[in-house]
Amino acid sequence: MNVNFSQMISVRCDDPSVLIDMLQQWDVQQAASDLMGYMGTRLLADRERPGQYVLIADFGVIDPDVSAADEAERNNERAETKAWAARLLDVVEGEPEYRHFDELYRTDY
Amino acid sequence: MDRDPAPDIELHDPEEVTLVARGIATAVAPESGLRDVQAALLEAIASALTGISVDYHSLEPLGPDELADVLAARDLSYRQRIVHHMVLGELVLRPIPTVVAHRVAKYAEALGVKDDFVRVARRYAQGAYGLAWMDLQRSGFVEHVQDAGDTKPKAKPGRRAADPFAPAQVDPELAARWSAFEELPPESLGHSVWEMYVGRGFALPGTPSGAPEYLAQHDFVHVLADYGTNLKGELEVFAFIGRANPDPKGFAWLATLVGLFETGYITGTGFFDRDVQERNIQAPGMPQRLADAIRRGKVVCLRNQKDLFEVDYHELVRRPVPEVRDLLGVSPKSSAAIEGGSPGTFELSGMSEMQRRVAMQRGGDTT
Repeated sequence: MNVNFSQMISVRCDDPSVLIDMLQQWDVQQAASDLMGYMGTRLLADRERPGQYVLIADFGVIDPDVSAADEAERNNERAETKAWAARLLDVVEGEPEYRHFDELYRTDY
Repeated sequence: MDRDPAPDIELHDPEEVTLVARGIATAVAPESGLRDVQAALLEAIASALTGISVDYHSLEPLGPDELADVLAARDLSYRQRIVHHMVLGELVLRPIPTVVAHRVAKYAEALGVKDDFVRVARRYAQGAYGLAWMDLQRSGFVEHVQDAGDTKPKAKPGRRAADPFAPAQVDPELAARWSAFEELPPESLGHSVWEMYVGRGFALPGTPSGAPEYLAQHDFVHVLADYGTNLKGELEVFAFIGRANPDPKGFAWLATLVGLFETGYITGTGFFDRDVQERNIQAPGMPQRLADAIRRGKVVCLRNQKDLFEVDYHELVRRPVPEVRDLLGVSPKSSAAIEGGSPGTFELSGMSEMQRRVAMQRGGDTT
């Protein structure tokens, strides 16, 4: 069974439009690139804590012999990912908090 | 294995056809075996394009390297079309098993084919539907349309768009041009297309709610290829247009329509919206209809070597429909497609329920 993997990044940021631009550019770049495990991202704003945001990047299986978590690990090693993470540091306050999850359930449509 | 000669079909070696079928079937079969919809569609395509019938459910496996050996003498374009048949065999599945999408990529690699649609299918299999649609638009339409724009010097303003799904603009000049088709002789291409629009309540291009000018080009093809305008007719017309395109990227049209009207991988394109109330490709006769549309498209491709979206139909609107068909090499439908129920443009059975209501209210010459 394929198990998706999600990376959650919690950040503080004054201007979420910068994050949105970064994510849109990332998606355009990924859609034009060779296939890897990245599926897409959601950016969520915390209603109780203004200025606090969560990015949830999903990874899936593209090679039956490689797990989604391993795909995410491979993604972390890519130069463009490192560059994106470095740019993220420039636009957020403090250090982003990274957490990692295996997906146990998803409502399909 | 039977041989069923049909017009416009080049002769094929029955042994090669069977070997290719074995490779395609092996590539696209889920672990539980080839699904009926896959077998029916692939059988119909093989039969339409080669005149040779193959029972896809009873084929021995053939690996990627063996298939590559079979196709070694074929050029890249031919091998890429074979890969597209594999991709089509995947795209009718929902979900696409990851192992299938991965296997098709291995076959494509063995055939020396680097194809964007293989990657799109893998994104579907992965569940990355948003990224898949971005990829499909980019690799199938945007770059392709931009390329075409570079090579055609006398563009009519607004006729081509970098994004064929860009929202339509209200354009009185364009609307007037389409409206004037009413005054043309009844047998002309222009009047026939005007009749198709008005007869089923479509807003003319350039008017509010009208189709984008670029996309409206395909409506001339509805009349020329004699396809209906319900979902099944749209699948036929875009299978035809896609294969008529000498650039293999034309396959993007069929891939998009299958995503809209069969599996629902695509939610909307801005003009067409997803509709999967019925599995259209699985409907009786549809595999044969689609396969014939691909065959007819191939004939047009060999004749014109030109994307049908790049034909200046406005220069041809005064000519009788049969004359324009001859000009572009649009061949008649096959008996298999007709027996499969492929209706003509002006037949009620080729219309959606809403279109039919409008047509009947007008009391037009529909059958």
